[in-house]
Amino acid sequence: MSNYYDMIKELFDIQVKEGLVKREVLNKIMSQYDHDILNKLIEYKFFKKVADDYEIRPVYFKFLEFILSEFKPLLPETIEKYEHSITSLFKKIKEGIGKDRNILLQRITDLYNEVRDFTEAVEKNTIRLISETKELKSNVDKIDYREKVRKASFWIDYYITPLNSILDVSHSQSITNRLLDISQYINVRRLNFDDETARQQFEKLYTFLVQTNDDLLRQSKILTNELLPLIERIRSESMILTGWIEFLKNPDKVKGPFVPKSKRAYPYNNAMYFNALEYVQEYMYTSDIYLDEPDLNAKDKWIFNKEFYRDAMIKELPMPNFFEWAGKTLRGEYKEIETEKFFSLSTLLFEDDIELEFDASADRMVIRTTEMNLRVPKIKIKRYGLS
Amino acid sequence: MDFPRYHKEIVGDLLDGKFILATDAKFIELKNNTDFYGKFFKETFDFYLDIKSDYAYLISEETMEMLSRDICIFIGLLCYELDKEGKNFLDEIQYAEFDAEQIDNLFDNSSYVDLIQNNNQLKNSEARKQFIGTLNRRNIIDRNSDKKFTFTPAYKVFMDFAKNFAKGKLQQNTVEEEAE
Repeated sequence: MSNYYDMIKELFDIQVKEGLVKREVLNKIMSQYDHDILNKLIEYKFFKKVADDYEIRPVYFKFLEFILSEFKPLLPETIEKYEHSITSLFKKIKEGIGKDRNILLQRITDLYNEVRDFTEAVEKNTIRLISETKELKSNVDKIDYREKVRKASFWIDYYITPLNSILDVSHSQSITNRLLDISQYINVRRLNFDDETARQQFEKLYTFLVQTNDDLLRQSKILTNELLPLIERIRSESMILTGWIEFLKNPDKVKGPFVPKSKRAYPYNNAMYFNALEYVQEYMYTSDIYLDEPDLNAKDKWIFNKEFYRDAMIKELPMPNFFEWAGKTLRGEYKEIETEKFFSLSTLLFEDDIELEFDASADRMVIRTTEMNLRVPKIKIKRYGLS
Repeated sequence: MDFPRYHKEIVGDLLDGKFILATDAKFIELKNNTDFYGKFFKETFDFYLDIKSDYAYLISEETMEMLSRDICIFIGLLCYELDKEGKNFLDEIQYAEFDAEQIDNLFDNSSYVDLIQNNNQLKNSEARKQFIGTLNRRNIIDRNSDKKFTFTPAYKVFMDFAKNFAKGKLQQNTVEEEAE
């Protein structure tokens, strides 16, 4: 393999991407490197033929994954399956502790292997997650920020957070906690079990579990202290960028953050020139100002038509009570009396040709307008001009 | 009555609209007398003193909106253009050294050409040079030489602004979507 390393690496990359190596792709690569080693690859059981194409056998694939540190991440639910196998083996060991010795030894070995596979799976995932996150952070592919956030959220939601909960010691149902329980039980057995060989196996398993717990704790710390903040930073960065993009769409209509304002400007101050410049520049800016036409309705457009109301008043002469008439007229037209309109009508009283009389001591009447109650005297209008 | 050390300089700097940075000896004195200065600025000038872990500044309701807006445009455009180049703009603003030529390059090739052309503080190289001077006097940047500068922690005020603005926009969109 070392002789054909570059070619093998390329074949490995293709299988990672495509799931297998197609015949034509394989031919192309072999001609590119000028090595026809297909027979050798089959002879050494590197390739398995799948119809017309080829697949790198799992043992080589895993080996290459390991030496290249390029692991395919496992979904946390796949890792979680170890919890069931480890728990069930542990239960069996406890139940069969005083029974068949050979079965017990086999179960201890199996438990050892399961724990090892579990830690390896976790370690592989952490390595892959770190590399993915760092790649995201360095952004050599120059992916845009939306894609960056999408990827970051994908890694957090599907891998990092669930993996962290599997490893979280404070969570009573986590595998880490289960392993702690197992190591406590094994610790007792390695000291007091009757059979020497089984005691040695317990001892071996215990040492391995202690080391595993340390490893898992380390992995959990990497996830919590390194990956989550790194990815959170990408998220926060994108939030800031979203803010800037929205702000830059229309900066004039947004109130910016409060920036301290220079209050004093003495002519002998060192910064006088710059302060003055800054001040002047501030007002040199001219932006287009648009004035929206206010919405107008019929009410806003009301203009007092003096002649119309004067004629209406003249028709009613002689009038016993001017304000009563004014109120009735307005209520008849608008259903309510607006103060402004009422006062406008009242100006008819100041016409030169009007002849009126009123008793100052008489009781006053109340006119309710939309804004207030007006106490008005009873004013009699006898005539208007020659009427 | 005894006044804290650097009292005159603290009051002078803050009233001149400067950020006082944690690297400045005045900052420690200011932080040790937070209550006193908080009350002092409130009672005397009706200003609110904001002391963060690495900078302090005065907030006035009567803000110089034009300057505040121009700083936001400057930093916002810078972040946008750095991101476009595939850089992590937060890291760049926090740690990198910028030079006038780089800023010119980014702004002259920006797609926000109308916004830049219509802004007197940012429209060309000369205007930007003056503007960088303004940022330096307010301690928002630190000039390392005539053409080079780094941002001080005061940049965080503007990042917080952008973050809050985005949150506000997102909320607004959610409300609008719900209303639909």
